[in-house]
Amino acid sequence: MSLGVRIATAAALLGSCMPIMAHHSFAAEYDATKTISVKGVVQKVAWVNPHAYVWVDTKDDTGKVITYAFESLSPNALARNGWTRNSLKTGDQVTVDGYLAKDGKPLSDGSVHGNSKLITLSDGRKVFAGSSADNAATK
Amino acid sequence: MRYFSSIAAACATVALVSYLPLATKAQDKGGDKGGKFGPVGPGAAGQRKDNAPKGPTPKMPDGKPDFSGVWTPTNFTAMGQPSLQPWADALYKERRANLSKDDPEGNCLPAGVPRISPFPMKLVQTPILIVMLEEGNVHSYRQFFLDGRGHPKVVDQLWMGDSAAKWEGDTVVVDTIALNDKTWLNGQGLPHSDQLHVVERYQRPDLGHLSVDITLDDPKAFTKPHTFNRTYSLLTDWEIHEYVCNEFNVDAEHLVGK
Repeated sequence: MSLGVRIATAAALLGSCMPIMAHHSFAAEYDATKTISVKGVVQKVAWVNPHAYVWVDTKDDTGKVITYAFESLSPNALARNGWTRNSLKTGDQVTVDGYLAKDGKPLSDGSVHGNSKLITLSDGRKVFAGSSADNAATK
Repeated sequence: MRYFSSIAAACATVALVSYLPLATKAQDKGGDKGGKFGPVGPGAAGQRKDNAPKGPTPKMPDGKPDFSGVWTPTNFTAMGQPSLQPWADALYKERRANLSKDDPEGNCLPAGVPRISPFPMKLVQTPILIVMLEEGNVHSYRQFFLDGRGHPKVVDQLWMGDSAAKWEGDTVVVDTIALNDKTWLNGQGLPHSDQLHVVERYQRPDLGHLSVDITLDDPKAFTKPHTFNRTYSLLTDWEIHEYVCNEFNVDAEHLVGK
């Protein structure tokens, strides 16, 4: 198992609410049973629509760098919850809790594709909380 | 029926509750302060709850209600379940089985009428025109002309349709036709045809609330007209925010469904 990476299988919750947090269906893109916790360093943050993205570098057992790209909420939703494009910076040490993409395919830049639900900085601050999974999950 | 009957109210509650506590917790930990599009810090997320200001309905100089303001929907599942023709029911089941992977909104296309997005909309009113500006819904706009012009004789099929409006007392009645059949009525994939006819009756019973009685009539897709009520609450310290959906929409190619 890669260093700093843990994939757990969680029981799927039965949900039936409409997906209201995202412009797309969470369940069609991400697997709510493939939860992931990645500890690493922020490579870059894209404060873009329809979802902000956060790239995090981590290392596997051999020291090879693996980059994850996490979809977050939209900038307007993040802004209303008190965060800005400067809440998370390149070089920050973080732990990202989230979900893996269903198709298992990397983004075009080769990064592992996931959806974040919470990013915790090394000083304990929590940023970019929330995911389209919160409402749409697992139906 | 599973999605929209007895669980609708519970669903709405879950939706609101699940939106709120995460953000509140995060703010407790110190989210950044400042922001031009709305309040930040404690209480910001609470705007999602119905804590609209109290007071009488604002009036235009001519004494008609003034609907202007930034509004957020408060009951996302209000639409419920229309009675569908067999072809529409089959299509609906297929879209649900595919976990809504083909939702046009996932491709940053307009949501149509009367679907709502999770983001606020703004109404701007003049004596002869009300404009709806959508923050979500790829920044779509709708125009409700109150000058008696009615519908054009020939209209194209449009993503947001053609709306004719009129006053009935203190109610604005908006009649929308000419909708294409590409949009979904909700995120679950509820279908409609190009015969969809939407009548919305807008009322502002007090300062803080908007109430819209909506009738959907679609003889090709429904077995009978379907009526529901949607409510909004006024956001006094939020402004609508830029949301350019196609900026970095990497989702489309990864929407695989099951």
